[in-house]
Amino acid sequence: MRLEGEKTFDAPRDTVWRVLNSPEAMAKTMPGVESFDIQDEQHWTANVKIPLGLGGLKVKIRMEKTDEREPEFATLNARGEGVGAIMNMSTAFELSENGPGSTSMKWTADVSIAGPVGSMGQRVLQPIVNQQVGNVLASLEQQVEAAK
Amino acid sequence: MTETLSPAQPLVVEEGEEQRGFAGTNVPRKEDKRLVQGQGVYFDDVKRHGMGYAHFVRSPYAHANITSIDVSKAEALEGVYGTLIGEEVAALTDPFFQLATPPGAHIKDYALAVGKVRHVGEPVAIVVAATRELARDAADLVEVDYEPLGAVTDARRALDPETPVLHEEAGSNLSWEGVYEWGDVEGAFAEADHVVKISELHFDRFNSTPLECDGAVVEYNRGTGQWTIHTNNQFPGFAAIMMGPAMRTGLDKLRFVTQDIGGGFGNKITSHPQLVACCLLARKLHRPINWTEWRTEFHLTMSHGNERWFLDTEVAVKADGTLLGFRTKALDDAGAFLRYEPLGGVIWAQVTPGCYRWRNVRLDFTQVVTNKAPCSPNRGYSRMQHLWFTERMIDIVAHELGLDPVEVRKKNYVKAEEMPYTTPNGCVYDSGDYARMLDVALELIGYEGLAERRADAESRGKLFGFGIGSTLDSGTNNFGQSRLINPELQFSGNNEVATVKLDIFGEIVVTLGTTPQGQSHETTAAIVVADILGVTPDDVNVRAGHDTYWNSHAGFSGTYASQFAVTGLGAVKGAAEKLAGEIKKLGSVILGCPESELELADGFVRMKANAEAALPLMACGAIINANNAGLPEDLDVTLNARYVYRPPFELPDVERKYGNLTLTYAAQVHAALVEVDPETGVYEIVQYAAIDDCGKRIHPQIVEGQVMGATAHALGAATHETFTYDAEGNLLTPNFYDYHVPHAMDMPPLKTGYIESPSPFTALGTKGMGEGGGAGIHAVCAALQDALAPRGRPVVYDSCNPYHRVWELLQDPEASRRRVEVISK
Repeated sequence: MRLEGEKTFDAPRDTVWRVLNSPEAMAKTMPGVESFDIQDEQHWTANVKIPLGLGGLKVKIRMEKTDEREPEFATLNARGEGVGAIMNMSTAFELSENGPGSTSMKWTADVSIAGPVGSMGQRVLQPIVNQQVGNVLASLEQQVEAAK
Repeated sequence: MTETLSPAQPLVVEEGEEQRGFAGTNVPRKEDKRLVQGQGVYFDDVKRHGMGYAHFVRSPYAHANITSIDVSKAEALEGVYGTLIGEEVAALTDPFFQLATPPGAHIKDYALAVGKVRHVGEPVAIVVAATRELARDAADLVEVDYEPLGAVTDARRALDPETPVLHEEAGSNLSWEGVYEWGDVEGAFAEADHVVKISELHFDRFNSTPLECDGAVVEYNRGTGQWTIHTNNQFPGFAAIMMGPAMRTGLDKLRFVTQDIGGGFGNKITSHPQLVACCLLARKLHRPINWTEWRTEFHLTMSHGNERWFLDTEVAVKADGTLLGFRTKALDDAGAFLRYEPLGGVIWAQVTPGCYRWRNVRLDFTQVVTNKAPCSPNRGYSRMQHLWFTERMIDIVAHELGLDPVEVRKKNYVKAEEMPYTTPNGCVYDSGDYARMLDVALELIGYEGLAERRADAESRGKLFGFGIGSTLDSGTNNFGQSRLINPELQFSGNNEVATVKLDIFGEIVVTLGTTPQGQSHETTAAIVVADILGVTPDDVNVRAGHDTYWNSHAGFSGTYASQFAVTGLGAVKGAAEKLAGEIKKLGSVILGCPESELELADGFVRMKANAEAALPLMACGAIINANNAGLPEDLDVTLNARYVYRPPFELPDVERKYGNLTLTYAAQVHAALVEVDPETGVYEIVQYAAIDDCGKRIHPQIVEGQVMGATAHALGAATHETFTYDAEGNLLTPNFYDYHVPHAMDMPPLKTGYIESPSPFTALGTKGMGEGGGAGIHAVCAALQDALAPRGRPVVYDSCNPYHRVWELLQDPEASRRRVEVISK
């Protein structure tokens, strides 16, 4: 599944960059994060509960920042494992200044889900992924507001 | 609604000669009592002290490198006996022998994934524990790290340069290719008045649904170095020749034991990788191993039927509807490994022209590997795909040229008076009358009243369609055909064995070389023996099941590929006649008359002229076994007869790809009536007729049961059963919810009929018939095409047509019509 989009923040690029590169801030944007652990600047781990099935699907997600060009571009790989599902995601975002106090973020994400959950297929998973992405972007906006 | 109708008076077209004895009568099945009382013994009923339960850890990825496997947490769990991983398998065994020539020959296939996984569900490790449930839980503690790779799930993309390669050793995803050409194909197209082109047809991936999944209980005897494998593998002879060399052991160290098997359909031929893994574990852990496959594992990984594309097909047709020839490119998707493949690359050629008199044929066969479950034989193996294609050509030609599908068939069918008929590639159709079978089908389906039925359906807002499927079930393989795939292979002919003995109290004991999975071998063998020895089937004890240590067996022994009625019963007949000869020889000594004056009847060997001068069989058994003093020294009678039946086969000509590939050709003509809701694409099969001709029927009810089973199987494949993968190689239909197998309530009103054309080539006039030819798949496709015709004449191009596909055809008929083009001179 390949997703992409563009979002505008009413905040300077440096602020958005800071939020996007702060594991603590990012943890708050991810829905269902139960715990978060920072190994070093490039590696984070999160325990996440995805709202799928009865009681939710608990997934341990390891994230690795693979590339960055401050303050405009970064890529991140995430790999999550839970009972019945393995998720791989690679994302990239690119920040550009729209003018004073406005930043635009172009982002892409390649998501693949393997295991029995993967066999439910895109028709089931796509709406869930879309919803999650919507939640992340909304709370990212809040984090950026808070960081201004 | 289900309603099964059989005519009160079966439609027998060719009455055989007056038959004395039990052949042709429905005696009670010998197997039924123990099966309906729950007294059958399946492998999972075998319990052993200290037995461990195996659970496979399977790949969630379709294609990935394995970077590490850590079993320590699983092994630390209390109750876990041990584990096995791919590295151990690679050290302890050699890769399985490959039937293919290069590039397929270079594929390395082990019992567990070594270094890399190539389909979702591929076994990467095994955990053995005190209980099934514990083993399953412990399997979750095995930590496997993968590095995912790109996957290929569309055979049409498998050979593209940018497509990931599954087996680097093979160089590409090509596993086998070959060109078949017979007759004068160019000449046929030059002579044709019309050339009908069909760009793409697709035969879907599905399998059968045995009630019992695969499995085994494996014991290892450390003293003798011998494994005892209680398993439901249906072709132990094949499993043994795959397993022995891989395990670096002689075949006699592999003892296969079976009693009852809950269905096989070919799907249980290729469980040898799992059996090897169990053997290694039994030796490593010093305890018996039980492996019982879960249903999800069966769906996900076991024995899918071959998916096949037919590309750039061209059919040469005369103005009067005479079919001259065809050419096509068959692209076969074998899945990730070649477990029985690439034999599918030749098996189809047993039925090259289908039921028709096509003389000029070219077929370019290409087989590729993809990141999907490995294929293996599935009821109708490889012929079903080709026969569906043949039938699809017939109906598309008829529709496009405005010809009557019934008349086109009758015009082009091989005729009864042409039998035995030699096909363009040298196969010999032994007997049959396809046109007569079609008449019977039309009678049962109510063809005369079709116009009224159509009008009635239309008055209810439904689209009404009528379709025919006519197929063949070629049985008794000449294994020499494997040389058309790989000339180096040293296989040819076929054989099967049986023993019949007369024991001390007059017991008649039969052992078979076969491993039946519901085909009633005990019953039909007893009938044949009873008729020869002049007793009743109740007097004949056919030993249940098979044990390679005690049953006589031959190289091709097993139950597969529609052959028991020919090879198995041929062996039984041979052994029983041998025994009958010995009984007469003994009788002539005791009764003091020439053997020619003796007969076997009513449990006696007696003088034809004087029934009072008789010796009970019980006395014969007692004399030879326990009271033999005074018998002539040169009396060579043991009352223990063994016979190996060997069909009359020649080696095929490898250069011309020419020769007789199978001995018998049972035929099926099915007809279906459907009603389609034009708004939703939902359709119902409202009437169905299945006509079968398998030559002489030993037990008609058993034949009819298999006809009904094959019909249900075909209707499942035609309507709902399909293994669908997404682009990343996830199987989207791994359970009964998404993979819908017909229930009793899904079956249409079914009428069955038959004709009997005895085979001139077999000992009993019988033909193998257990597979059927998948006629139902085509009958439904044809009926749908007929029904949808008023809505833009869409072309049914897929073998499986769930409601959504019918809806798509209704929404955009042009999309399907672009696949077909007619060029007329």
